[in-house]
Amino acid sequence: MVQINLPQNSKIKKGKYYKDKTGSKNIRKVNIYRWDPSTGENPRIDTYEVDMENCPSKVLDLLNKIKNEIDPSIAYRRSCAHGVCGSCAMNMDGKNGLACTKPHKEIKGDINIYPLPHLKVQKDLIGDLSTLYKQYQSVEPWLKNSKKDENKENLQSVEDRSKLDGLYECIMCACCSTACPSYWWNGDKYLGPAVLLQAYRWIIDSRDEDRKERLKKVADELKLYRCHTIMNCTNACPKGLNPAKAIASIKKMLATS
Amino acid sequence: MEDKNPLSPHIQIYNWHISSLISISHRITGIINIIIITLICFWASFLLLGSTNYDIIKTFFETFFGKFLIAGTVWSFSFQILCEIRHFFWDLGIGFELKTANLTGLIVIFGSIVLTILFLGKGLI
Repeated sequence: MVQINLPQNSKIKKGKYYKDKTGSKNIRKVNIYRWDPSTGENPRIDTYEVDMENCPSKVLDLLNKIKNEIDPSIAYRRSCAHGVCGSCAMNMDGKNGLACTKPHKEIKGDINIYPLPHLKVQKDLIGDLSTLYKQYQSVEPWLKNSKKDENKENLQSVEDRSKLDGLYECIMCACCSTACPSYWWNGDKYLGPAVLLQAYRWIIDSRDEDRKERLKKVADELKLYRCHTIMNCTNACPKGLNPAKAIASIKKMLATS
Repeated sequence: MEDKNPLSPHIQIYNWHISSLISISHRITGIINIIIITLICFWASFLLLGSTNYDIIKTFFETFFGKFLIAGTVWSFSFQILCEIRHFFWDLGIGFELKTANLTGLIVIFGSIVLTILFLGKGLI
């Protein structure tokens, strides 16, 4: 259901202010969402003054700098730092993206960093994505093919292969799904852009023999048709993919088959 | 997940894009249009009851608020129609590229204003 206001335990309070100690003239303020599960207090926004003279270009570098030099207690996911693993997905400057590919220069004014929207927070910038993973599992994201001969290649024409372009690149970072208002309000039932893009990736694969079943499974008022083409997903995707188009393609296939 | 975990902020912090702004306006104008159509039906049946009713409505529409209501109605319908055309192309699978979607979005916004002015013409002033 649509619930605009945050629950009582999620209301954000003002947090600590970390003043710059380096004496640098090039200072930027970074506001970061903090929540510590051990205290039982409400989430807060901590503000850090960061010396930008000695800071590499991306938001993730900025976070690393804060963690290394100012406040080691801050928690966030990260791994590859090259936009491939999708771990450091978060909300920066009011838009979802990967901290490792987002240059902080693109952000004007203070830098606001929140966890991905409308998730249960586990700590600081870490949101709980287990619902999304369960939904991902529900579309059975693997090849279904009755050909048993494992010694033979399962060939695909160049044309059929090209249908997977713009789909297989998805890294499941959840930027799109957590940017979608429909997913905010109906996240338990609506599959969301990330999972639907994956569903389409298997529907359209020429090697897969389960297309009809897959389409039937996804053809649901809530699972699929909660997409109202708001297009926040496509706007958010850090890999430049187009989940809105993938969802429309599923709808079109259902309407024409 | 236990209930003690807070919900991360969503609509409070998320930036508006052209596409999301039009999407929500599309819904709102849709609801407004239903109300307006109902009112127009009432208005029409009201007129059947005689010329005095016509005079009351006429004076009302000549006030500033009345004119505003008419202009708003025309805009609301224009916006809705253009949005629906945009959605029709989307249903055909056309116009999903971010640039195209933003462009058609702007066309909807400015187009609805242009249509309102064209439709009302001199009547506005």
